[in-house]
Amino acid sequence: MKVLSFQQLPYRHLPDDFASKYDSIVTTPYFDLVDPKLMHQDHNHFIDEMLHAARCGFDGIGTTEHGQAVYDILPNPNLQMAALAYATQAEGLNTALACLGRALGKTKEPLRVAEEYSVIDQISGGRMIAGFPISLSWDSNLNAGIAPIDTRPRFAENIALIDKAMKSKESFAWNGRFNKYSNINMWPRPVQPSMPVWSPAVGNPNTLAGILDRDQVFLYFSWFGPKLTGQVFDRYWDMAEERGRDRNPYRLAFLQCVAVAETDEEAHRVYGPHVKAAFNTGLGSIPMSKLSIPGYMDINGVEHVVKDPGDFGMFPIMRTASYEQIVDAQACIVGGVDTVAEQLIELVKEKRIGNLLLMVQHGSMPTELTKQNISLLAEKVMPRLRQAWSDNGFADQNWEHKWWPTGLPK
Amino acid sequence: MSNTAIITGPQRDEMVSVWNDQIKMRVRIAGKGPPLVYFHPAAGLYWDAFVDGLAQDYTVYAPELPGTTPGDAYAIYKVDEYCDLILIYEEMLRKLGLKGAVAVGQSMGGMIACDLAAAYPDLFSKLVCLAPSGLWRDDAPPAVAELYSSAPEKIPGFVFHDPSLPAAQAMFTLPENPAEIPKAIAQNVWTLGCAGKWMWPFPEHGLRGRLYRITAPTLVLWGKQDRLMPAVLAGEFEAGIRNCQVKLYDDCGHVLQIEKLDQALADVRGFIG
Repeated sequence: MKVLSFQQLPYRHLPDDFASKYDSIVTTPYFDLVDPKLMHQDHNHFIDEMLHAARCGFDGIGTTEHGQAVYDILPNPNLQMAALAYATQAEGLNTALACLGRALGKTKEPLRVAEEYSVIDQISGGRMIAGFPISLSWDSNLNAGIAPIDTRPRFAENIALIDKAMKSKESFAWNGRFNKYSNINMWPRPVQPSMPVWSPAVGNPNTLAGILDRDQVFLYFSWFGPKLTGQVFDRYWDMAEERGRDRNPYRLAFLQCVAVAETDEEAHRVYGPHVKAAFNTGLGSIPMSKLSIPGYMDINGVEHVVKDPGDFGMFPIMRTASYEQIVDAQACIVGGVDTVAEQLIELVKEKRIGNLLLMVQHGSMPTELTKQNISLLAEKVMPRLRQAWSDNGFADQNWEHKWWPTGLPK
Repeated sequence: MSNTAIITGPQRDEMVSVWNDQIKMRVRIAGKGPPLVYFHPAAGLYWDAFVDGLAQDYTVYAPELPGTTPGDAYAIYKVDEYCDLILIYEEMLRKLGLKGAVAVGQSMGGMIACDLAAAYPDLFSKLVCLAPSGLWRDDAPPAVAELYSSAPEKIPGFVFHDPSLPAAQAMFTLPENPAEIPKAIAQNVWTLGCAGKWMWPFPEHGLRGRLYRITAPTLVLWGKQDRLMPAVLAGEFEAGIRNCQVKLYDDCGHVLQIEKLDQALADVRGFIG
C-alpha cells in the first residue's frame, strides 16, 4: 500500500473565541486576526514539515487548494509543491507529490493548471499526482464568482481540456463554453505519459460515477467522521462493480486525520486541544449554507441529502463539537502507537484502502509537535500498516497500482 | 383585498415549444381581459394574491423560467447565454400572440422584462417593474450572493421588512405531508439555482446601457427597506428609461407585492388602466 503525509495550511494562532465570532471562510477579517510574522512563520513551517515527512520515508506528500480560508491558506498549492519538488529532488528523495488538487469547477484558467502540473512533473522527474476536485461551493461560487449551476459543467469541460492539453501530439483549438483557445500546444508536457489523477469528493453519486468512468482514484476524507459516513465507502465499491470496474484497493485513497504519541494518555494530553480547535475553528466554522449554494448540487442530489443527510456525518455539530465527539466519530484518530495503528489497519482492511493519506497537522499544532507526529507515524505506525497490507491478503492478490507516479522514462 | 386572501391560482397551462423545439416552456394562465405577462422572480413562479388580483382584470400569462418547471429540471442546460434567454422569452411571447401586452416583472422577472422591452421596443404596451434586478452600484450592491448563501431560516428576514406577516410566512410553508418535503425543498433550491445562472454573482448584464431603448411607459415600484435590491437603484431606472415613474413604499422589503399588496395592486391598476 501507499502511505502519504498530508497537510493543510491553517493559520495556527487563532483566538480562543474564534468559532463563536467568525466563519472560517470567505468573510474572515484578515487584518484583525493575523500577525504578519506568524503568518510568514506558518508558511515556512508548512514546507519544513512536508519536507520532514518526505525525509521520514512517506511514499508521498499531499495538499489541497482553498481560497480565502483560515483553515487552509493554499490558494495555489502548486507554489508550495514546486518548492517541495525541487527540495526533494535535490535530496534524492523519491517522494510522490500529490496536489489534491486544483479545483476545476472553480478555475478560469485550466490551461495554467495543466502547465503548472507539467512544470512540477518536470522538476520532480515524474513524481506528480494530479488532484482534480470539483471544488467546494463557497470556493467556486462565492470566492471565484462561478454561477453555482455552472460549477459542474465547468469542471467537466476543464478536465477534458487538461487531459487533451497534456496528451495531444498535435496542437489544437479549443472552442468550449467556458474556454476559448485558438492554439493549445503546451510546453512543457508532463514527464509522465499519463499523469495519475486522484479526485477528492465527499460521496455524491454523480461525482463518484464520473471518477469511476474516467478510471481515476476516489479520494475520500475522514473529516466528517468515518464512523458516521461508512456508507460512502460501500457506495463507491458498489458503484465500481456496477460500472464494470474491479475492486482494486488502489482505486481508493483515504485521508485520515491522525495524532500519535507513545501512549494514549500522552497523545490526548499533547494533541487534544489542537485537534479540538482545528475542527471547531476550521471545517466547523464553515456555515452549512455555504457548502451547497442553490444550483451547486443537482436537484436529485438535494432531495437525497434532505432525505438522508448522513454523508455529512458530524459536520452539522462540528463548530461546537467536543474533543470526545471528534475522536469517537474517528474524524481524528488520536492515541498511542498501538491505538492508532489498530484503528488505521481496521479501516484499511474494511474499506479496501490502497492509498492512505495521514493528515498530520491540526489547527494550532506547533511545528515541533507536528514533526514529532510525522516521525512517530513513519517509524512505528507505517511499518505495521505495510505488514497489515500483506496480512489482509491484498499483497498476494497482486493488485496493480495504475495510479502511482512512474518517474522519469527508464 | 387583504393579505390573507384565498388564492384562486392558475386556471390552465400552455406548453410552448421554443428554442428550435428543445424547450417546452410552461406558461400558467388565469383571468380574463387584455393580456398581461407576469415575469416571476428568482424564487420561481409563486402565484400570490397580487397575481390573482391582476387576473381579475387581465388575462395573466405567467411563463416559467426554463428549468424551474417541476419535472423538467434540465431544461436550464439548454440555455447557455443570457441573450439566448431573452430570445427564448420573445419567441414564447410571439407564439402566444402576446405582442402589445402589459408586462409586469418582479426582481429577476423585472430584469428580463426590461431587457425584452429594450430589445423589442414595440413588444409591450406598458412595463411595470417591482424591485427589478439588472443594475449595479458600488455603493448599493444587490445582495444576491448573500441571499443565496444564507441559512434558510434567515431568508424571510432578508426579503421581507416584516417577515411575520401571514402572507409572508405562507410563502415559505412546506407541504404538510412529511414525505413530500424533500422533493419540495429540492424544487425550491433548484429553482434558485436555475435563476442563479442569470443572477450570480450579480444580476448585471449591461442593462444600464440598454435602458434608453425602452419606449414603453414604465412604472417602477420599490420597498424602501429592500435588503436584496437597494431602493436607491430605483433612481437609476428612472434616469435611464425615458418615460418612467417611480414609487417607493415605506416599511417595505423586497417582496413588495406581498408586503404592500393593496397599494401595489392599486398603483399597478392605476398605471396600466
